Amino acid sequence: MSLQVQPVARRITAVAWLPPRAGNAYNDADLHFVTGSGGKHRELVLWTTVNPDFDNDTEGAQDSADERPLASLIAKVAHDGDIHGIAALSDIVATVSSFGTISIYQADHGHSDDTSRLALRESITAHRFANSERASGTALAMQPVDSPDAEVASCGEDGCIAYAQVSRLDALQQHEVDSTVITGICWPTPAQTAISTRGGQVKLFDRRTPADVSAVFVSPSTSYAFECIAAHPSQSFRLATGTDSGAVLLWDTRNLKSPAMEVFNVHGSNVWDVQFDPTNSGRIVSCSDDATLAVTQWSTDGADASSSARDVRRVSSFFNVLSVNCLDVCPFTRSSIIVAGSDSGNLLIEKSTNDDDFQLF
Amino acid sequence: MGVTRKGVDKFVVLREKEAAIHLLPGLFSAGTQAEWSNQNRTLIFSTHPLNNGCALAVAGKKPREHLSNECRVFEQDEKVYACRMESVPDERLPFIYDSHAVFVSLQKLMRAADVDLQEVGTERMSVGISSLLQMSALYREAMLRQVRVLQDAPKQSEFISSEIDMFQSMHAAWHLLEIIYLTTNMPGLSTSIVPHFMGWLNFNFPAPLAEEGQRILDGSPSADVLAANAALWPYLKKLALRGHVTTMANMLERIAPAKALSTMASRWAREIARIARDMPLGSDEETAGSFNARWRLWNAELQNTATAIRSLLLPDNETTRPADTALESLHSIVDVMRGDDDAISALGETWQDIMGATLLYSEPTAQADRLPTLTTEVTDSFQTSDFSVLDKALVALLNHDLPEFLVYCNQIEPWLAAHVTDIMDHINILGICRKVFAVDPREHYILALGEIYMSHEDLWRVGLEYLGMTNSKAGTLVMGEYAMRIPIESDRKAEQILRICDKYKLGRAKDRIHRQLGRQKWQRGRLGAAIGHFAQVSDHRSVGQVCDQLWNEYLESGNLTYGPIIDGVLATGLKHDRLQFLTRYRDFHVCYNLGDYVEAGRILLSILTNEIAPPYAVPDLLVDTIPLLEGDALVFSSNDTFELIRRAEDLIRSPEEPSLSPAANTTAAIIDKSELSLFNVACARNLARSFVAM
Repeated sequence: MSLQVQPVARRITAVAWLPPRAGNAYNDADLHFVTGSGGKHRELVLWTTVNPDFDNDTEGAQDSADERPLASLIAKVAHDGDIHGIAALSDIVATVSSFGTISIYQADHGHSDDTSRLALRESITAHRFANSERASGTALAMQPVDSPDAEVASCGEDGCIAYAQVSRLDALQQHEVDSTVITGICWPTPAQTAISTRGGQVKLFDRRTPADVSAVFVSPSTSYAFECIAAHPSQSFRLATGTDSGAVLLWDTRNLKSPAMEVFNVHGSNVWDVQFDPTNSGRIVSCSDDATLAVTQWSTDGADASSSARDVRRVSSFFNVLSVNCLDVCPFTRSSIIVAGSDSGNLLIEKSTNDDDFQLF
Repeated sequence: MGVTRKGVDKFVVLREKEAAIHLLPGLFSAGTQAEWSNQNRTLIFSTHPLNNGCALAVAGKKPREHLSNECRVFEQDEKVYACRMESVPDERLPFIYDSHAVFVSLQKLMRAADVDLQEVGTERMSVGISSLLQMSALYREAMLRQVRVLQDAPKQSEFISSEIDMFQSMHAAWHLLEIIYLTTNMPGLSTSIVPHFMGWLNFNFPAPLAEEGQRILDGSPSADVLAANAALWPYLKKLALRGHVTTMANMLERIAPAKALSTMASRWAREIARIARDMPLGSDEETAGSFNARWRLWNAELQNTATAIRSLLLPDNETTRPADTALESLHSIVDVMRGDDDAISALGETWQDIMGATLLYSEPTAQADRLPTLTTEVTDSFQTSDFSVLDKALVALLNHDLPEFLVYCNQIEPWLAAHVTDIMDHINILGICRKVFAVDPREHYILALGEIYMSHEDLWRVGLEYLGMTNSKAGTLVMGEYAMRIPIESDRKAEQILRICDKYKLGRAKDRIHRQLGRQKWQRGRLGAAIGHFAQVSDHRSVGQVCDQLWNEYLESGNLTYGPIIDGVLATGLKHDRLQFLTRYRDFHVCYNLGDYVEAGRILLSILTNEIAPPYAVPDLLVDTIPLLEGDALVFSSNDTFELIRRAEDLIRSPEEPSLSPAANTTAAIIDKSELSLFNVACARNLARSFVAM
């Protein structure tokens, strides 16, 4: 199935799925996600869409499904600054903005949509330059622990990483760790963070000694500027980064001195967001300034990682010609559902149920 | 835009619109301009580089009346008013994004067709026309979607309804352009424009409305009531005029049994219904000759019918009752259908009605080139001064007067003019306009549209793409100027703008943006990022200055902390003398701290001998050699020591120009006398040791 487009007339800059209300072990018939926009309309919006696992209807019903919108807006709230990163933890939504603030919102996506709302709980300025100008935050990641005391880590153009507990933002810790712009952040394990920099470095940090870099990786042959980073959902030594030249780099950091790195040239321009598909971690999903999404199969389970297994499926829409800024793959469904947002004012949704539509490079 | 065609200067006048806008709340109350200017006060203002905004301020002091009586000093008026004209309403954004997507695809398509043309030598027009038709349909679809969205808007306002009107006008103009230049140019036997024209007419100017027919039918359950309905006959006439002959036939058959109708009227109603159903319809498979033969037969039948009814209506005919309105109406319907100009003019309310009926019933095989003559005939009977801009645009288009059409399109909406010129260019019909306009119309209108979009915060990218797609020197120049002025709020936006600069080869803009970003980062204390930007544009001087700052910070603090900064920069593959010096010097410290004095000495010596160090740093480097010269292990050989002495002598012979030193405290940069003697002693001792070692 190709990319479906819903015009929303907003430049969508960040997106994240909310965990199911019924808990991670169960599943809801409706899924919820939040989007953040930038530019003239800075808003945090809560959407709902049908869970594709429950959408196994017949041809006739498919026609009626075509008429209803892909996603329905159920709540929105104005946001201070462009939203550059969103992370969700049960009913908590954390954002980082172009003003360098981390904000925590309470998302009440109640059982009836009338009661759904988003409310700002707390916010704090986390990123400032040396001359006290506010620095733009660039990305945000939630510590992968299922606890209300989880930490949120943000990075910014000031070269700082900021850590704050979602329950207590005022206990913010900031550490300057890079001289260029930090473009992405992720948590390979609950005790480790990794960042990507515009200077072409991947740095690892131990959460217990947050100011000291525990390892630095650079590409040995070509120099890249990194735009984003993602951690493998289960193998903490695997990282993926997106570059300014349209490549997706897959890192194996088991050997900290000389990590193995593989390059997939999947896009024609800057890769803005990258993620391991949580439903099939042998795939990397990426989005780019060239207005496409790409699903890269980097390994097949059980089979040898031979070159023939390396397939890339590019997804684009005729009605979306500007940069795809952000994506999130829903980790709660059996069939893959990707939501992405673009500069063309579109919400993009890609649902795929079968794996047979892969094409070779 | 100037129009050079002789005798046509009305457009120029139309475009020079002036409007006085009074700001509310403003600098002074409305109607007091004269009084205000008498106070010898003046306004200063500055226009925004990107949008239709300006900043206004009063140049001078606050007026007496605005100050309290106690106040004895005149205060400077420090208020600045920022004003802005909204030229792109947010409601239009979905349409702009949609149509931009189509525009981009269209350009790609035509570029691909051009490549094919060069490679294979196929005829571009035959390749392109069906694709162009698809694209054109997509543009129209975007307009219609926008109309639907606006109609469904929860809050209706005057603004929304004017937007709906505007989009409907745009659709009408675009659709007509499409049928004249694209649809009828498609391969096929029938090249008649008539069915397409009727389709256009009934779609864009629907009449009679379907609801009207439904209302008449709903209110009249039986034939008798229906026949008595006063709205029935005007409705039927309108159906005939617009060529809805099947609907008309159905209705006629429905009323035929009515008792209110005379026997003759019922008979002819049935007869006309039958003839109407037999109306020949052209198709792509049929030649014009065969269609004409069928049409002539049908028309002859209508002529006979008309004659028969007319004879019944003659006053001396006794079989009819006086004033049989039904029969009279049937007569005028038949007259319309047999293409009688007078009957059509009598019934047609608008020029479009008359044009449609004339084409349909008198010239069913007319081709597009017949339209100008016909349009002139039809519009002659109308007051053209009452025409709306849309009417004028449509008439111009039907007259094949493309320059005039463009000017009116631009009055409807700049979007229309820009995209019309673009598609006209692809159909190769813009050449006529190029001779008429002073500048290239495609370039002009697309540039104008791009500039309008640039004023909207979210549309900078769409705007830039439009400017870039003009494929002209002027477009690139304007694009470069805009690219330099787009506010850069984030690193990602900077990256996006720089990408566009790369794509369209805007070297100057790219250079300026990098320098500007470099300065900004430098001010913000982000030295690594600053070096990165300066290095991108080979601004070696600035890179050197930032490196000097790093060196000075080291000298002041004594702590070598710039390591991570230069590492971050070096990872990008950057090469610069000063950076290399800082890296090597850092390496020296690393080796020294690890106790690897031989390697440390080697590095230090290579820095000095390769002369990568800036002159002002040499004294410090020489001082750094003293502990190595005096150390337990022999680090420098006799040759190395001679080299060190040579460097020191160079330094003494040509003392560092104070102005070249980055440090304000210039004495610090010149080697200290006592340190010099220490250095000399250390060298002498080391020489002695090295000779012994040899």
